Amino acid sequence: MLSLSDKKARRRDWLRNLNNRNRTGGRAIDGLTPLEVTRRGWLAGAGALAIAGCHPAARADLRFWATSYEGDYSPHLTAAFERATGLSVDVQSVPSTAAHEKMLTAFAGGALPDVFMVPSGWVREFWSIGAIAPVPSPALIADTVPTALALARVDGRDVAVPWAIAPQVQYYRRDLLAAAGYAGPPDDWEAWRAMGRTLKRRRPDDYVFLMLLNWPDTLVSMLWQSGARLLREDDTRGNFSQPAAEAAFAFYKSLFDEGLAPRALSTEVQDPLAALAAGYFAIWPSWPTLLLDLRRRAAELPRERWGVARLAGPTGPSVASMVSASLCVSATTPRPREAWALVRHLTSRSSEVKFQQMIGNLPARASAWNALSLDPQVLAPFAAQLAAPGLAPPVIEWERIQIEIQYAAERVVRGLQTIRQALAGLDARADQLLAKRRELVQAGQIA
Amino acid sequence: MTRQERAAWGFVGPVLLITSLVFVLPVLLAMALAVTDYSIYAMAASDNVRFVGAANFTELLRTPLFWRALGNTFLFACLGVPMAIGASLFAALLLNDATVRWKPFWRVALFAPYVTSVVATAIVWRFVLNTRFGLLNYALSWVGVGPVDWLGDPRASIPAILLFVTWKIFGYNMIVFTAALSAVPVELMEAARLDGASRWERFRHVTLPAIGPTLLLAAVMSVAGFLQLFSEPYVMTMGGPAQSTVTVLYFMFDEGFKWWNLGQASAVALILFVLILALTTIQTRIGRRYEWL
Repeated sequence: MLSLSDKKARRRDWLRNLNNRNRTGGRAIDGLTPLEVTRRGWLAGAGALAIAGCHPAARADLRFWATSYEGDYSPHLTAAFERATGLSVDVQSVPSTAAHEKMLTAFAGGALPDVFMVPSGWVREFWSIGAIAPVPSPALIADTVPTALALARVDGRDVAVPWAIAPQVQYYRRDLLAAAGYAGPPDDWEAWRAMGRTLKRRRPDDYVFLMLLNWPDTLVSMLWQSGARLLREDDTRGNFSQPAAEAAFAFYKSLFDEGLAPRALSTEVQDPLAALAAGYFAIWPSWPTLLLDLRRRAAELPRERWGVARLAGPTGPSVASMVSASLCVSATTPRPREAWALVRHLTSRSSEVKFQQMIGNLPARASAWNALSLDPQVLAPFAAQLAAPGLAPPVIEWERIQIEIQYAAERVVRGLQTIRQALAGLDARADQLLAKRRELVQAGQIA
Repeated sequence: MTRQERAAWGFVGPVLLITSLVFVLPVLLAMALAVTDYSIYAMAASDNVRFVGAANFTELLRTPLFWRALGNTFLFACLGVPMAIGASLFAALLLNDATVRWKPFWRVALFAPYVTSVVATAIVWRFVLNTRFGLLNYALSWVGVGPVDWLGDPRASIPAILLFVTWKIFGYNMIVFTAALSAVPVELMEAARLDGASRWERFRHVTLPAIGPTLLLAAVMSVAGFLQLFSEPYVMTMGGPAQSTVTVLYFMFDEGFKWWNLGQASAVALILFVLILALTTIQTRIGRRYEWL
């Protein structure tokens, strides 16, 4: 029996290594890759399995789920926790595109892990269904960036501990802009677009802006910047048919119509960083985690060829989409004390600084910002944008409405609908999605 | 009850019990869900669930994306079933020819896509279909066809996915047809040839009637399969571009599992069930008329 479980563990070890290798491109980062840690973890796991005899489901003391890079690299942070406490932590990296359904299903099936990472857009939802426990002590959230704290708060209650904060900024090809006579991207929409035209004239076969047609963030930033309030009547109805939203849609559409942005989906641009390096586009509105890719693939795109700036606004930089990752403790965990200890460890100043170096994520702890070893030129736009968050209406349905906004935008960009039609359609769709909320608000059951 | 009957029940009973537990019961529960407004709010508090009668269905009929999904699904089925069955039959006929050598090799090679993981093959096909670097556009450029934005153009996305699906699944029916073709009487074929029947006439009047029942089975299975198309668009395009590859099942998955609107998702499932049942009934009627059943 012992050899069987050993064999099983070794097989899984191999599979998992394979997965990790694929995800990280097999490159070593700071001499430390997720590969090594999981291998170590699995060797320990194999031992545990041997002790447990033929019981294959020998469980770790704590289970932790996180998405994307956070999930991949968390073993680097949990290793110290395991050493200090003697508890074992099983980290599972959940693909971000399937995380929402996976977590909801896990909640419905009573299989949520003890600790899990939730993007800010889902905090309210998971709180309202009773999946997460409130933060037990203010010490856990002391010294947190105010925006991050606001994103982890529901109806005045702290329900999650902010882990990382991500303001949207634009990455640009410094060399391509310089060749066109620009030191950096201009601040306001008109000049930004004019720069796009100049760049397009110089390189007509390439594009300037990358705004993937199935990713809503950039358009949503533009909508916040235009000052549009997109829901009305206590956020129970759509409010899209208004001049401000129309202006943002028109600006967005014009970038595609003039050939400045490719009409492409994320499934088509398979390696955006390679495309940026090749000059396929020069401006990419994106997030801090891109810093990891940029460092890892510095051979393709050296540091001196790219820069970071705040997004252009209608009349200068203004608000922009803001997301944060928070850590939640399951309401049903059998070991709340240990779970909160893990949260405290993961969100400690030193853990967040270490994570910043590893995956680019910006820390949610205010004091950690002073300890970052990031190039000040790169850090400054993020820090400035952090003070101007574009915050979504506090409704569960917003994540869905945001996707509908992008569907509408795609139809507009592809010329299948006019902007007015699309906005009227959005109003109808938002009303439909908010029907249950409207009913509950009218009945006075929710605010 | 005789001893024989008791034995029969002893054998059938457990199977019936398990079937009713894991199949009949969930179906009944889903039907019950379809007349409630079960949503994420119901998870928050169970007294948020209400009986809504047919409201889920009327709501669906008001949802443009549902109609879009229905239309896309029918397009997939109408184009995909003939394409897939045609490809299978064609490959089976080729393999059945006496002059073909290394038959087992070809059978395995053509069957292989069917048993490969859909995600792995979809990723390969995404590269094949890439607008700028894809093999398909490279091949098309030889015959002077300009680059087609396969997965990015709402008009090309369904053909692109169909190409992939056909390649992926035709091997299965090909094997079934190969078996059926080997049962076509050789004497009949020779007699037809001696009587001067052309290649097409021999196919139409000898081969086709002989494989009729198999063809019907393949058609029924393919229609049901294409109406339930999900993983291919999910992996290849995520329903895009401009929702041109959202199928009914994809819509249901999104509503039900992604957003947890289980009431509405169950209504979609029920509609899909009725559709498949109706189409299969029509197909069996046709089959009866030709005495294939």
